[in-house]
Amino acid sequence: MGMKDAEFCADNSFTGNRRIKSWLRFFLFFAAIILLLALSMLIGPSGIGIPDSHSFSGSAIMSLRFSRLLMGMMTGAALSASGVVFQALLRNPLAEPYVLGVSGGAGLGATISILAGSGLFVSFGLPVVAFLSAVLTLMVVYGIASQGSSGHPSVYSLILSGVIVSSICSSVIMFLVSTASVEGMHNVIWWMLGSLQPVSYSQQLLSAVLIIGGLSGIWLLSPRLNALALGREVAHYQGLHADLLLVVGLLFATLLAATAVSLSGMIGFVGLIVPHVMRAFIGPDNRKLVPFAALGGGTFLVVCDALARTLLAPVEIPVGVVTALAGGPFFLIILQRRMKQAWIA
Amino acid sequence: MEQNALTFRNVSSGYKHRKVLDNVSFTIGTGEFVSLIGPNGCGKSTLLKTAAALLKPLSGVAELFGRDVHCIKPALRASLLGVVPQKIESPMAFTVGQIVMNGRISSMGRWGIPSSLDQDLVERSMIYTDVLGLRERYFTELSGGEQQRVALAMVLAQDPKIIMLDESISHLDINHRQEVLQILMNLNREKQMTILLVSHDLTLSASISDRFLLMDSGKLIKTGTPAEVLQPRVLSTVYNCNLRVQQDPYTGYLQVSGAVDSLHRRKKLNRSIHVIAGGGCGIELYRRLLIEGYEVTTGVLNRLDSDAEAARALNIKAVLEQPFSPVGNDAIAEALQMIDNADAVILSQVPFGSGNLVNLELASKALKRGKTVLLAKGIADRDYTDGRAALKLVTGLLKDGALGWESMQELMLQLSNTLTTDFDDQ
Repeated sequence: MGMKDAEFCADNSFTGNRRIKSWLRFFLFFAAIILLLALSMLIGPSGIGIPDSHSFSGSAIMSLRFSRLLMGMMTGAALSASGVVFQALLRNPLAEPYVLGVSGGAGLGATISILAGSGLFVSFGLPVVAFLSAVLTLMVVYGIASQGSSGHPSVYSLILSGVIVSSICSSVIMFLVSTASVEGMHNVIWWMLGSLQPVSYSQQLLSAVLIIGGLSGIWLLSPRLNALALGREVAHYQGLHADLLLVVGLLFATLLAATAVSLSGMIGFVGLIVPHVMRAFIGPDNRKLVPFAALGGGTFLVVCDALARTLLAPVEIPVGVVTALAGGPFFLIILQRRMKQAWIA
Repeated sequence: MEQNALTFRNVSSGYKHRKVLDNVSFTIGTGEFVSLIGPNGCGKSTLLKTAAALLKPLSGVAELFGRDVHCIKPALRASLLGVVPQKIESPMAFTVGQIVMNGRISSMGRWGIPSSLDQDLVERSMIYTDVLGLRERYFTELSGGEQQRVALAMVLAQDPKIIMLDESISHLDINHRQEVLQILMNLNREKQMTILLVSHDLTLSASISDRFLLMDSGKLIKTGTPAEVLQPRVLSTVYNCNLRVQQDPYTGYLQVSGAVDSLHRRKKLNRSIHVIAGGGCGIELYRRLLIEGYEVTTGVLNRLDSDAEAARALNIKAVLEQPFSPVGNDAIAEALQMIDNADAVILSQVPFGSGNLVNLELASKALKRGKTVLLAKGIADRDYTDGRAALKLVTGLLKDGALGWESMQELMLQLSNTLTTDFDDQ
């Protein structure tokens, strides 16, 4: 599908040389993704290379690596795609799940259910609780930001109230953790640090369903997100249900972010930076950006996780540390060169 | 199709806490070229937003081709009505081609893949507006005028029956402005496209419009042909300044210009005016008098009164009394001193009660001392004194030769007339 869209764009705006160049770029992108995913299957705390698949330990290692790869793909894709949508809807380069309080709200819901719940409830209910509390948080943020405006909050008041609500959420999480039992505290902190430690099979399955649903929903909206990039008013004049589009888009993006948080904890950076970097390479057209950012974000997180497991083996570095420490400088260099394509105003 | 393109029936509209449009009714026929004019903030943009169903009327109905705009499906509405906003912004690096393609967004399928009709319409509107060469450029990097042409191309790509332009041609250079107007006139003539142009260039609008809608403070003041609406008396009240309307000797079109000679004269007039105000009704008077170049004094005002604050901020000499107290003798004496030094005394639209009736007596003393006194009309509605004392006083004053005024424009005219005559006499 992504290819088909690319073709349209090529017809429309590229000619000759540039067309070949853009095809070459897509080819390189996919090749890099396959290569990186394969590489990350080959490294781990047990060493580099393919372990003997006939031995019991060897096949266990491979299946562990594979399920971490799936966890990384799901989490990274969800975070990065939700960042794309938040940025497109709010037309602001700072918009992402953390800034709007969505991650904080999901985190608070997840903390409560980890502290209160038992095994089965946690594994199955966690994504649902996280989503509901994230939606609730978003509604609070939206409500606060709408005060005094004529129904439509400005982007700045949304971000301001998002940051405030987000920090309230994290304070409540701190408080809950500090009063929890030792075991509960251990569970929550382990989860909060962010890790791609595979969760139960049932939770993985549910999360996969939610994330695939969210990504498809966003992709269906993506042509309309382009029109919304000129503002709600212009989108309305062009014949779109602009307000409905905004609400549905926010809900899908929140679903993705909350599922990612419930799956892997608080992993920052991916939802903010990956969308910008992908936009720098393939442009702001959301029809292409959504699938590419999802692929790119997933792969980025998988690679970071492979590094996190291997670098100081047998000690595992929290993957959130690697995303920022390793990814930060790399992406900064890219953005410095192509800032204009990433975000122009 | 219904004959009337756009109809407003008793529409009041606005925002949560602020009503902007006040009971507006009008009709624009299919194929008309109409200019919507009026001062800043009079509700022109709100009218457009209401017509485009972006704002829901508080009361009344806005109709597109005979149907309530709020009942028309958005995609259909976009094929009937296109709006070129004052400014569009794209923070992301969309190219001009991508921006113009947005005009077809509601008619493209779910995947946003344009048909050949979509492609053709986009291509044609880009050629019309001379932006085809800019196709690969980033929209945000264009100049203001180029952006406006792209915005127009985007709206033309919608292929609407009505186009509303919200001051969208103001940033164009003279060459492209002529071109864009020519495009609009061609569409108007050949395709019967209805055009509603919000404009501040009255002369330009007069040369191209069939009809004018003149708005002021949310109300529709006058509609009619350019000749009917562009009358100095009507415009001067609405725009609150001196305007001149002339006919171009070659083309016969009407030309509206600010009376430039009155601008050149603005130097210190060496004329002093004493203003009797209170409760905030003096602020606009102070502003206008200072702009016109008069020396201004004011009083008696109570401290903390908003007029007193304004006088202090504007460096106007004022006689002040304690807050919430009746005016004492010292203050009266001081005010009389000021009146003696003044050439004229103006009474603003201040309400009178027992506490400030003294101010009105000051005016009558001024008249006795041979000063020109100008009274705001409509005192009956502002008289809160026992036994209508203020009304009686004012009636007496008018009989004794005080002048009445209603609009700021009228007041300024009277002032310059009487004071210049005085000057000639001396």
